[in-house]
Amino acid sequence: MRCLVIEDEAETSNYICKGLREAGYLVSACDNGPDGLDLAVGNDWDIIILDRMLPGRIDGLSIVDKLRALGKQTPVIIVSALTSIDARVSGLRGGADDYLSKPFAFSELLARIEALQRRSAPGADSSQLQVADLKLDLRTLRVTRGAKVITLQPREYRLLEYLMRNVNQVVTRTMLLESVWDYHFDPQTNVIDVQISRLRAKVDKDFPVMLIHTLRGVGYRMGAIPPDGAEPAAAGGPA
Amino acid sequence: MITLRASIAAKLVLGYGLLGTASIVLVSAVFYHGTVGVLDRDIDGRIVAQSDRLLAHATGQADGALLAEVRRQLDDGIDSDREIFQLLAADGKPVAGNLGSWPAEAARLDDGATLLSAVVKRDGHATPARLYLRPLAGGGVLIVGRDLSEQEAVRGVIWRALLAGAGVSLLLTVGGALLFRRVVERRLGAIRRTAAHIEAGDLSSRIPVSGRDEFALLGRDINRMLDRIELLMEGIRHVSNAIAHDLRTPLGRVRSKLDDALRHEATVPRLSCAAHDAIEDIDDLIRLFERLLQIAEAESGMRSRLFERLDLGLIATDIGEMYEASAEDGGVTLTLDAPEHLYVDGDRNLLASAVASLLDNAIKYAGPGHAIHVRAGLFHGGLASIAVHDNGPGIPETERAKVTRRFYRLYDSRHLPGNGLGLAIVSATALAHGGELLLEDGAPGLVARILLPLARSS
Repeated sequence: MRCLVIEDEAETSNYICKGLREAGYLVSACDNGPDGLDLAVGNDWDIIILDRMLPGRIDGLSIVDKLRALGKQTPVIIVSALTSIDARVSGLRGGADDYLSKPFAFSELLARIEALQRRSAPGADSSQLQVADLKLDLRTLRVTRGAKVITLQPREYRLLEYLMRNVNQVVTRTMLLESVWDYHFDPQTNVIDVQISRLRAKVDKDFPVMLIHTLRGVGYRMGAIPPDGAEPAAAGGPA
Repeated sequence: MITLRASIAAKLVLGYGLLGTASIVLVSAVFYHGTVGVLDRDIDGRIVAQSDRLLAHATGQADGALLAEVRRQLDDGIDSDREIFQLLAADGKPVAGNLGSWPAEAARLDDGATLLSAVVKRDGHATPARLYLRPLAGGGVLIVGRDLSEQEAVRGVIWRALLAGAGVSLLLTVGGALLFRRVVERRLGAIRRTAAHIEAGDLSSRIPVSGRDEFALLGRDINRMLDRIELLMEGIRHVSNAIAHDLRTPLGRVRSKLDDALRHEATVPRLSCAAHDAIEDIDDLIRLFERLLQIAEAESGMRSRLFERLDLGLIATDIGEMYEASAEDGGVTLTLDAPEHLYVDGDRNLLASAVASLLDNAIKYAGPGHAIHVRAGLFHGGLASIAVHDNGPGIPETERAKVTRRFYRLYDSRHLPGNGLGLAIVSATALAHGGELLLEDGAPGLVARILLPLARSS
């Protein structure tokens, strides 16, 4: 995976690059607008992460603009200290695929990068999702684990579907709120955690292998193998 | 005190004074023309007619018949103290009449009969008169006229009356205008004094308002503006205090936790646990700042151009369903009554966040065993409303206005998690949408109601 980071603030840039290298990406970094534009346009990247405000008279939005004008559909995540909804909306309307406000947790950025990667590389058009012995039939809306049929509320079904489509990937609470509920705001309490623990009670309870894992301070991950740092399911999530 | 030249009141006085004088002059001219002028023309007509009559009786010469007629007129005793008749012979000598002197024009009437005013001697007295001089066919002149002394007296009376009237009106105009100037300056003075107080730092100073005139309306508008400014200033002051005090506490906590971990925790897992704790605390602080920014953004009203048409009923249903499980976990019954097609113009995420905040509060503060009812619908017919009603302890009436302030927390709830921003954000969001947040007595409990203007049907 080739990844371009355009960010003028050295510390943030290092933070992102280091994290991405650890996650197995090939990273190129650049600290100003004009060079960023040259690099972004002149090479093929799997993902571009750029700051909105850059030195050198070419800002993040105009780089996205040029890229899209040249017909390049490279996924772009804007990382910015401009956090207002106005700024976010203009960023997304300007052609960026995602918008993350600073300061952010690296795990959130990584989760969003991975989500974009999956989106740009559509999986096999299957009518059934499967994780270990959990099966979800997209046509009949039937969910089974082993021999047991699991009955879900419509919202729980969509939550499970999203988790299963992103198997072995980290999904954050904000991503869940955006994709399953289609809202973008910061829920103050553990409302998402409660939804997950409901789902977990139906999917994981009475089974020896846990499929829905909580990553402290980050979010959730679905998979048969518990990730590093996953908490026991009973903890539910951060207090 | 401003100079008289610069005073708008003085300018108004001058303007109205001039206007008043001009109108008095105009009225007087019309009146004078209508009275004295008519009398003058009347006299002219009468003496010409008399002259015509005399000549009709005679042959047009200063002979016997005309002479006799003149004498008869003079002796008939009718109007004898005002009438003037004089017959002059061709050589200019008086033949008959009551004049002692006559104007020199009588000797050279080349262009026919002439009407003129002159001072003549009549029965031995000099008197103003109006005369009609008419040459006779056989030489000589017939003068018919009228003594104007009475007329002049009337004219004098009218002039004096007009002048007196004009003087009095002018005095009244100027006096009234000066009075007006004092009133204006007094009313403006109240506004200027208030402005000076506010400039000196007393933001609670207000313009005394009485009556319903223009100044009272202006005063009310300015007072309303001052109320708003005071509220905002208070908010800013409050935020500064809160940042100074409330934010120091969590920062201090993070610092001491890290410090403690560095000094006492030797193992990597324990250190990493402390780091995780610190990150969580810092995330909370970041979230707090984001919410403060969110309030500022909503209050600045910059958002409305991003508004879209949305169904408030749908948002209530979505968020209500999202919180059903949380309510159940908290031992609270949540019921929902939200019909669809309740359209407003707004920001979907902000409104959803506001409803979520109200539900958060209701679950947190009502406590186990209580019930929450979410209801969307029309409020008094003309507004869209989302009400979250809980039957918990509620908020005392005296506190209800304060809980929408930033960082304000009820004394009894300080032990519960929260940052005292929830209702402030809901309130700011409602205001940014042209609506408001109402907190009402739920009898028992609290009704938190977001009121929004309905979308105009397009």
